[in-house]
Amino acid sequence: MIGNDIIDIALTKTESNWKRRGFLDKIFTESERLMILESENPEIMVWSFWSQKEAAYKIVNRQTKIRIYNPIQFECSFKAAFNGIHSGKVVFQHTIYHTLTEINTEFIHTIAANDEENLQKAHELQSDENITKEVGIPLFTNPHNGQVKPVSISHHGRFRKTITF
Amino acid sequence: MDKEQTLEKLKEIVKPYIKDQEGFENLTEETDFITDLKINSANLVDIILDIEDAFGIAIDNQSMEKMLNIKAALDIIEVKLAEK
Repeated sequence: MIGNDIIDIALTKTESNWKRRGFLDKIFTESERLMILESENPEIMVWSFWSQKEAAYKIVNRQTKIRIYNPIQFECSFKAAFNGIHSGKVVFQHTIYHTLTEINTEFIHTIAANDEENLQKAHELQSDENITKEVGIPLFTNPHNGQVKPVSISHHGRFRKTITF
Repeated sequence: MDKEQTLEKLKEIVKPYIKDQEGFENLTEETDFITDLKINSANLVDIILDIEDAFGIAIDNQSMEKMLNIKAALDIIEVKLAEK
């Protein structure tokens, strides 16, 4: 399974104040807060972690059908960065979710998958063609081979990303 | 404070974050912050912090988990006020 989350950086500046008292404590673990505060760009770290948490939550929600608001229980870390793409992981209840986060000046976009193979296969769809929404999870039917795969759609502000694997 | 007053105070807190005016006008206890009011999930933290300030209570992580609709928020506020 996959999940994604996009953040319009300009919109976060008007929608949220991550510096307000209590904000970081409510949603980030101690080690995440340390990484944020020691980072050269704390603001980008805040929203990168947030998009990782949201993308991983999407997988958990899709697999369990349970809705819950517990971002602090999704523990994020980054492993490496290459060409603006940061690979990382999110741990939730002893399960690891692998992530790829694209960070640029306009947006932050995380794709999460429950295993590395699905993450490697994850790719963006440029249109809504061949996407159907049954109950809950939207599905993409590959016009070439008829294969049906789950789709994850995220939008925020000026941006919208649709991914499948 | 009775339930009506709590609800009015909660509506005032939630109002700046809503993205769906119609959902807000038709608000009931069943109204969901994310699916009905289209509130950004990062702003749910702001609502929780605003509730803490407005009611002088502390909302722990376990309570926060359930904070997805008006009813859950009212229940949590009621419990935390009683604990004061």
